[in-house]
Amino acid sequence: MSSTLKIEGLRAEVAGKEVLRGFDLEMSSGEVHVIMGPNGSGKSTLAHVLTGHPGYKVLAGSVKLDGVELLELSPTERARHGLLLALQQPMEVPGVRPYDLLHAAGASEVNLHERMIEEANKVELRPDVLERFVNVDLSGGERKRAEMVQLGILQPKFAVLDEIDSGLDVDALGAVARRLQLATKEWNCGVLAITHFRRLLQELTPTKIHVVSEGRVVATGGPELSEVLERDGYEPFRAQSA
Amino acid sequence: MKTFAESATSFIASQNDAASRQGAFSAFEATGLPSTTDEVWRYAPLKELSLDKFSITTSPSKHTDSAFATDLTKSAGLVIRVVDGFCVNIGDLPDGVHAESVESSTSLSGQSLVNRYESDTFAQLNAALAPSTTVIRVDAGIHVEKPIIVLNSTNAQSSFSRTQIELAKGSSATIVEYFEGGENALVVPLSEYAIGENASLQLITYQRLNASAWHVARTTGLIQRDGRLRQAVIGIGGYYNRSRNDAEFLGTGAENELRTTFLGSAKQVHDFRTRQFHKVGRSRSTLLSKGAVADESRSIYTGVIEIEKGAKRTDARQTNHNLLLSPHAHADSVPNLDIRENDVMCAHASSVGPLDELQRWYLESRGVSRPDAERLMIQGFFNEMLTTLPKELAQLVEQDVTSVLSQVNVVTP
Repeated sequence: MSSTLKIEGLRAEVAGKEVLRGFDLEMSSGEVHVIMGPNGSGKSTLAHVLTGHPGYKVLAGSVKLDGVELLELSPTERARHGLLLALQQPMEVPGVRPYDLLHAAGASEVNLHERMIEEANKVELRPDVLERFVNVDLSGGERKRAEMVQLGILQPKFAVLDEIDSGLDVDALGAVARRLQLATKEWNCGVLAITHFRRLLQELTPTKIHVVSEGRVVATGGPELSEVLERDGYEPFRAQSA
Repeated sequence: MKTFAESATSFIASQNDAASRQGAFSAFEATGLPSTTDEVWRYAPLKELSLDKFSITTSPSKHTDSAFATDLTKSAGLVIRVVDGFCVNIGDLPDGVHAESVESSTSLSGQSLVNRYESDTFAQLNAALAPSTTVIRVDAGIHVEKPIIVLNSTNAQSSFSRTQIELAKGSSATIVEYFEGGENALVVPLSEYAIGENASLQLITYQRLNASAWHVARTTGLIQRDGRLRQAVIGIGGYYNRSRNDAEFLGTGAENELRTTFLGSAKQVHDFRTRQFHKVGRSRSTLLSKGAVADESRSIYTGVIEIEKGAKRTDARQTNHNLLLSPHAHADSVPNLDIRENDVMCAHASSVGPLDELQRWYLESRGVSRPDAERLMIQGFFNEMLTTLPKELAQLVEQDVTSVLSQVNVVTP
């Protein structure tokens, strides 16, 4: 079944400053959309607003998943509707084990342990890391691989990745990108990846690239757009938006 | 009904060592119960404490192990049962381990109990009224594989138990002191641990008394050169739960890791006191105290790190975190340092606050409901304290704590 994520006219502020200023984006299951843009353009804010982070305030707009307005739902309900955020800095939750988190998140207990190990293998994460408390004492690479284990178990309709490539070495980046690419096939997962870097796109083929500046999309194109960005930087797009 | 003093006097008269007991009881009577004007008792609901509600029993009541006690003893190497303060049963002793119930009025420090605990009213009561001392000794070089469990249950109105554990040079053991029962009772245990040179004791004090009990406990570790005491104190039960845990570092390289944990609900008061007394250099203490208070419960953590002049290169750390699960709960944290030497590493930190909002959001953003997220985080708060326990024990305690937590009401601010 194909699903649709539709963001329309989204405006949001953080600490009293309007960071998203009319953001629009529409994507379907199985697609990979990549959001690129300079620092402060609102990329991370988008990820946090989509999942209902308590520090962000929505001023206007709509985010619909298969017609259901997500902005009216709690973070829990958004996740249960099929939206999962993988974070740049996944939070440490001392004392809570990944197994218990996933079970509480609605994962079936049937073979859960085995499935987690299988998912860990897919991203070359040592399975014993899954016995540790969530993200506690994990390296940057291990944390992001661990986020991919959650993704593989929870199988969201859409995965939002907030700069999941930052601070990753080439091996980890490749493992994460391949896992995401596979997810688009495995359960037709839609991937919305926010990134600074083109590196991620070497193994994750984008359907569309969106350039963001000053809180909204200023250009949309195919994979070729990343080459333009590589060559010319964000400056031309910034000018365009002014 | 007899008054407390009458029943105590007749109990003492019936004992062989009545004279030294009477000395301790007289010392108690001379000072009487403390009052809240005394700083160390400031937070205790002493106005509600009337000793005449508790009479002294002259023999142990009939007792059967609880379900949890049965689980706890399954993997034990030795089980010792203490009922109403009386040592009633000592199981088969593993090689190199000795256990007996003895008449004694001497502290493991060598002093008499009366002198050793001169300023501690309740310890004086224990010196006067504990039926005997349960002594556990581990011979030099012996590594006791399976845990030794001391099951301490109270069915009578009062219980004064005394335990002394001695680990000889180079030995190691895991010992659990478990407390249950104590409905409307006064429970006053006194424990001492002498850790010999290069010996290692892992000790777990698990207090699961009835919510109506008055529990005033004191433990002291005396640690020799390169000896190690890892102690976990978990307090769940009691109406008033006072737990004082001291360590004295008597030889260089002595080490103490102390983890104290409590969970307060209803109108409970948890009153934790610690003293890490570094008498010699290159000794090390790591103290982590974590507790959660729900409903209208309250907690006090007061810890002092004391470093003697000349105890160079002592490393002492003290951390206290308190979780507030209700706007009507309250936690006080009073860390103290008393340092008489310059060449030391010393640190303390404390915090009081509700559950972390961002951690909760992180769990919710995975699809975990708010109540489940909070439950997981509170369980996690405690699980973290159990990580140093042997796996089987940790699992048992974790399950038990989880079942208690499922009853606790969480009110988010």
